[in-house]
Amino acid sequence: MNEELDSQLSAMFDDELAAAECELLARRLSRDEQLQARWGRYAVIGAAIRAERGVRLNARVASRVSVVVRSEPALSAGAVTRRGGARWPRPLAAAALAAGVAAVSILMLRSQAPQDAAIVAAPPVAVNAPRAAAPAARAGSAATTAAPSYVVPPAQRGNLGAVPGPELANYVVAHSMYSPPVMRGTLLSSFITSESGGAATPVSTEVMTDPQVDAPSHPQ
Amino acid sequence: MGADESDLSLVRRVQRGDKGAFDALVLKYQHKLVKLVMRYVRNPAEAEDIAQEAFIKAYRALPQFRGDSAFYTWLYRIAINTAKNAVVSRDRSPIEYNVDRNSDESYDMQGRMKDSETPEGLVLTDEIRSIVNAAIDGLPEDLRTAIVLRELEGLSYEEIAAAMDCPVGTVRSRIFRAREAIDRRLREVFEGGLGRAEELG
Repeated sequence: MNEELDSQLSAMFDDELAAAECELLARRLSRDEQLQARWGRYAVIGAAIRAERGVRLNARVASRVSVVVRSEPALSAGAVTRRGGARWPRPLAAAALAAGVAAVSILMLRSQAPQDAAIVAAPPVAVNAPRAAAPAARAGSAATTAAPSYVVPPAQRGNLGAVPGPELANYVVAHSMYSPPVMRGTLLSSFITSESGGAATPVSTEVMTDPQVDAPSHPQ
Repeated sequence: MGADESDLSLVRRVQRGDKGAFDALVLKYQHKLVKLVMRYVRNPAEAEDIAQEAFIKAYRALPQFRGDSAFYTWLYRIAINTAKNAVVSRDRSPIEYNVDRNSDESYDMQGRMKDSETPEGLVLTDEIRSIVNAAIDGLPEDLRTAIVLRELEGLSYEEIAAAMDCPVGTVRSRIFRAREAIDRRLREVFEGGLGRAEELG
């Protein structure tokens, strides 16, 4: 082990290392297991010298915390609260976003309805697929590149009724986090109903507007 | 160099998604946090559980940490609140340890309770302590004074330099060399497996 590096580690442990060096060493410390083990032993040495009563020096808190943290989503820079900077009030931004998505969904529904019969199948569109990929989901090219869809199964001819096209379906599912609950619920219910094969009950406007559509069926 | 700069550099890394940096923070503060929690609970295993919970809460709250206070001050506040809540909820359910031996979950809890109270658990801590103390006793006077002033008295390098009448750079070097000498002994124990200290001469 590099003696200069260890000397820096010791100084960093004591908060006596220059900021620029801290940045570099912190990066290395977070990745180098040996360095981290040494860092941990420095903590044990301090605790032993202070003879802290009741504190077990072989405690496994760190390893247990590490296991839990590994299972958690990593924090992202965007989530960190920053001081200053103009930001939209959160409720206002959310409302604006929801209204925008709702408006787009309604417009697309209207324009889509007469063309639905022409749509045969949609190509697979993954949840994380870029939005620009959606227009490519038109019938002709899609039929030849069919692969298992992760989001929406291919729509079936003759069972379309008021079911929105796969293009819109993929769009809504991919953006379901932001779409208004009523619109999302109605559309998703339609997809689910239309999914149940050729014997499925044709999806009608009634089903789409029925508030009980998501409720479990009760035995008679 | 600014106070708390090393913690801040690690905190910033965690905030950017580097979980390994959080491991380093936990390693640094786990003993201090358990000691703090021991003011509220007497059982070492329970104190460790509370410290663990406090660390996890801190991790989840790190996006809101802006560095207005030192990281450890912020962490300690979380630990104190967690400990107080644990004491309150324990008082509400006084039969916490009245567990069913046949249940896996309760058996695990018993296992952890035992772990803190078994002679083996205490021996390991005593063993580490005796190794560190023996290593400190074997240090040259200037190294021993430097590390004790730092770890026991909590003096800064500048304060130690004033007390020992030497440059700050010398203090840094002495503390590092002291740690290295102690760590060499400790590493043999950790890497050879805890509980084998008696094999070391």
